Amino acid sequence: MRGFAVICKMELRLFLRDFFSFFFALVFPVLMLLLFGGIYGNEPVYEGADIGMMDISVPAYSVMVIGVTGLMSLPLTLAGYKEKKIYKRFDATPVGKKSIMLAQVLVNLAMTLMGIGILLLAGRLLYQVQLKGDFASVCVSLLFSITALFSMGFFFTAVGRDMKSTTLLCYLFYFIMLFLSGATMPDMLFPDTIKRISALLPMTYAVDLMQGTFAGDGLGLHGRELLILGAVTAVCTAAGAVLYRKKDWT
Amino acid sequence: MMSQIVQVEGLNLTYKSLHAVQNVTFSVQSGEILAVIGANGSGKTSTVECVEGLRKPDSGLIRVFGKDPWLKRSEVYEMMGIQLQEAEYFSKVRVGELCGLFAAFYEKPADWNLLLAQMGLDARRKSMVHKLSGGEKQRLSILLALMGRPKLLVLDELTTGLDPEVRQNMLASFENIRKGGVAIIMVSHYLDEVEALADKILYLEKGKQQFFGSKQEFRQYVRSRIPEDEWDENLSLEKLYLMIAPKTTGLTMEGIL
Repeated sequence: MRGFAVICKMELRLFLRDFFSFFFALVFPVLMLLLFGGIYGNEPVYEGADIGMMDISVPAYSVMVIGVTGLMSLPLTLAGYKEKKIYKRFDATPVGKKSIMLAQVLVNLAMTLMGIGILLLAGRLLYQVQLKGDFASVCVSLLFSITALFSMGFFFTAVGRDMKSTTLLCYLFYFIMLFLSGATMPDMLFPDTIKRISALLPMTYAVDLMQGTFAGDGLGLHGRELLILGAVTAVCTAAGAVLYRKKDWT
Repeated sequence: MMSQIVQVEGLNLTYKSLHAVQNVTFSVQSGEILAVIGANGSGKTSTVECVEGLRKPDSGLIRVFGKDPWLKRSEVYEMMGIQLQEAEYFSKVRVGELCGLFAAFYEKPADWNLLLAQMGLDARRKSMVHKLSGGEKQRLSILLALMGRPKLLVLDELTTGLDPEVRQNMLASFENIRKGGVAIIMVSHYLDEVEALADKILYLEKGKQQFFGSKQEFRQYVRSRIPEDEWDENLSLEKLYLMIAPKTTGLTMEGIL
């Protein structure tokens, strides 16, 4: 147990030392908030609406944070560990390779929550962002969004033959989803063709779910999003686990 | 009193269509050094990785401290230190941090501060691992293998990348470690270090066991395979090995010009 705690501490240190992960999970979303908050403020999204631009942007940027940790940081770190035979080295110790994988998931989860926490705090302080949803619904929407995007990242690591192909898969899906899911710009601005593509992306449903529950919707209103994100989690985790077992770790 | 640490009988391992290890049998006692020799691709690393529990053999019996290393890996690793032929560490970690991490894996870890000094890495304690030279990385790798105060050390090409002085120091260190009752399995291409350290030799060729026995028996094994007029009692182990090792064609200018 002590060994596992020390691995988690080490993984946390490595996450913070990695500029990409640190910047894009903890700093960049706040910069986006400042940029678009500076342009639009927290004005109503349309005339008479009781919800402001930043009220819908904070949950959307929260999904961006989940995307950075789940689709970039986690899978690319795991792929690097496999390629450099770091897993193999840890497998030759009493703690085994599963400990390092679990520590990676936990650290990325913790950093996701921290990134979202920083966003919420900045939104609240700078633009009086309201979190109208009940705590339980917001937690469930977070859980479904995190598990879906993390399991996609896990699947990409399992599918990628090496670091290069995993990086390609992660970058491709991350950036497509980032720009077409409504995580960076409201999907109401998209033309119909883009909306049709957007409907194919799991991150779109995470953004809709998070924006809905943050605005006070009950989970019952988002059954479709929960179902799709749950299915993505189940399929990616199962397929990823099968592919992982088939891989030669040595 | 010596006790059996490793027992391997009829070990077989295949990778798809390649029969990498074929019917290999050997044993290692406490305080004994076994050298595994053979050309590249002869199955040395595959054999020791089965002993380490990192690869599951197709058939055969392997016992390390009386346990199956594949099934009882974490128990076996409490007593076995491993230096892999090729393994990297986290790139953005400092030497001291990595040592602290590995120390946390064991109930009674070695005094790694002392080991750092003995390995000549004390001044590199705060250096990032990726900034170390090849030889320094190799020394760190050996240090980490010693972290759990092992009763069995498996060293895959331990002196590769080390300069001659450090290599000599390292060989002397392993002689001292052996005197403490630790069994060592070393994979090596350097027959001079095999001659200096090993008690027994396991010689593999294309996955097949050619010889297992003492150094003296290896001499007799070679003698029985070469013309009598080529035999010289004073020949080094390296020269003897070259007499029976598979021959490769050297590079000629014909292919280049």
